[in-house]
Amino acid sequence: MIKDLLHSTPSLLNFGIFFGLAVLLLFVVLGFVTYGILSERKIMGFMQLRVGPNQIGGKWGLLQTVADVLKLLIKEDTIPKKADKPLYILAPVIAFAPAFMVLAALPFTDAFQFADIGVGLLYYMAISGISTIGIVTAGWASNNKYSLIGGMRAAAQMISYEIPLVMSLVGIVLLTGSLNLNEIVAAQEKVWFIFLQPIAFIVFFIASVAELNRVPFDLPEAESELVAGYHVEYSGFRWAFFMLSEYVYMFAMATLTTVLFLGGWNSIPFLDFIPAAIWFGLKFSAVFYVLVWIRVTFPRIRADQLMEFGWKVLLPVALANIFLTALIKELINLF
Amino acid sequence: MTLSGELIAFFGLALVAILGGVLLITLTKVVHMVIALVFTFLSIAGIYLLLSAEFVAVVQILIYSGAITIVMLFGIMLTKHQESDEPAKGGWGKITLLLAIAGFAVAVYLGIYNLDIPVQPATLHEENTKQIGIELFSKYVIPFEVMSVLLLVALVGAIVLAKKDDEEGDQS
Repeated sequence: MIKDLLHSTPSLLNFGIFFGLAVLLLFVVLGFVTYGILSERKIMGFMQLRVGPNQIGGKWGLLQTVADVLKLLIKEDTIPKKADKPLYILAPVIAFAPAFMVLAALPFTDAFQFADIGVGLLYYMAISGISTIGIVTAGWASNNKYSLIGGMRAAAQMISYEIPLVMSLVGIVLLTGSLNLNEIVAAQEKVWFIFLQPIAFIVFFIASVAELNRVPFDLPEAESELVAGYHVEYSGFRWAFFMLSEYVYMFAMATLTTVLFLGGWNSIPFLDFIPAAIWFGLKFSAVFYVLVWIRVTFPRIRADQLMEFGWKVLLPVALANIFLTALIKELINLF
Repeated sequence: MTLSGELIAFFGLALVAILGGVLLITLTKVVHMVIALVFTFLSIAGIYLLLSAEFVAVVQILIYSGAITIVMLFGIMLTKHQESDEPAKGGWGKITLLLAIAGFAVAVYLGIYNLDIPVQPATLHEENTKQIGIELFSKYVIPFEVMSVLLLVALVGAIVLAKKDDEEGDQS
């Protein structure tokens, strides 16, 4: 459907349709974030032998996040006197806009996707890098030493872990021969890449947790050392934007993991009567659950360990994986 | 010239690119300048995209807006560069500057007005990542390899320089 729209002549109606679809996706994502946060808190509660939210919206606390968002909306919007005002206001926008932009290139199912671009994989990596600028800007503009340290840590961490993240995917690109996410999914019709590229999957998953700034890599907002890191001075809806971009990235990263390693919307053999969307949802939820599980069960690592791990362990392993993949591919071609 | 979506997008992007450039010069705080620079880089990437050079566009964002700007921000913020530039003054200097700009504009206009752009093969925008790869590894292998050696030299040089600083810091 989108493809026909893209090829049709531009008009005001076309613009309206695209705008409407984008708004629809925004609401889908907001709905996901609302219940993603609730499920995260519930799972964390169960794993830590607590009950989690159980007051608002029935036994399962179904309206807890809605109430939280409402609270954030009516909260006082404070801007510190010594803050750099234009940058302070601009920073949440720079952090959030790319988070939503990356969703445009992600194929959810063969029908439900927005842009099928040739360099989809690189597009994701490039656009998600812009958010770092927003975070660093927020840290600097707040004019607070904790937020500055948080912003610095975020920049250092996201740059360091972006390299193994991209490098681990070169193996997949080598096997598929394309950077297009649709072709990567098509290449996994028989065997998922998690089985062909297990090393890449481990490196990618660790690096993606680090890119998402989640425990055990949540040094930019380590609350026991930095109060709240780069968004310590933010309140109300500006703060909500940072949280929102974090969870939208989580949504995007879980989607990307599903697409790259778990075969996207492809089904398990003999079970292809189940629709593609449900397959995608199942795999996506599994990835999301593992992300929450990691958050609950791992302690935070130290800043020096973080850098050492990224540069001395993940990067060499990712490079070795590229070498190995190229070697095996050539050997298979030879015989 | 008809008003198409492409034209509107081009004008929007060009406007943001130029605005970013102008702000980069006129703003006084260094961090603001870098943010203005980011907008210029991003809109230039958008213009590449309009020329259907999607790989170049994405790499532009990845390298320039993503990596280089962050390194610049990092350096500026860590060195606590709080002071701002003094706006330049001078009467005659401004007039010569204006003349120079006008001269440059005329030269560029004469240069591009009658420029005859050869018709390019129509397949250039199809799979251009693949085409770039094939060109790079068949026609331009030696420049490519020389470039990698150059980058390696730069890398080693940076490490040596950083190391030297460290030892001096220990002694003092």
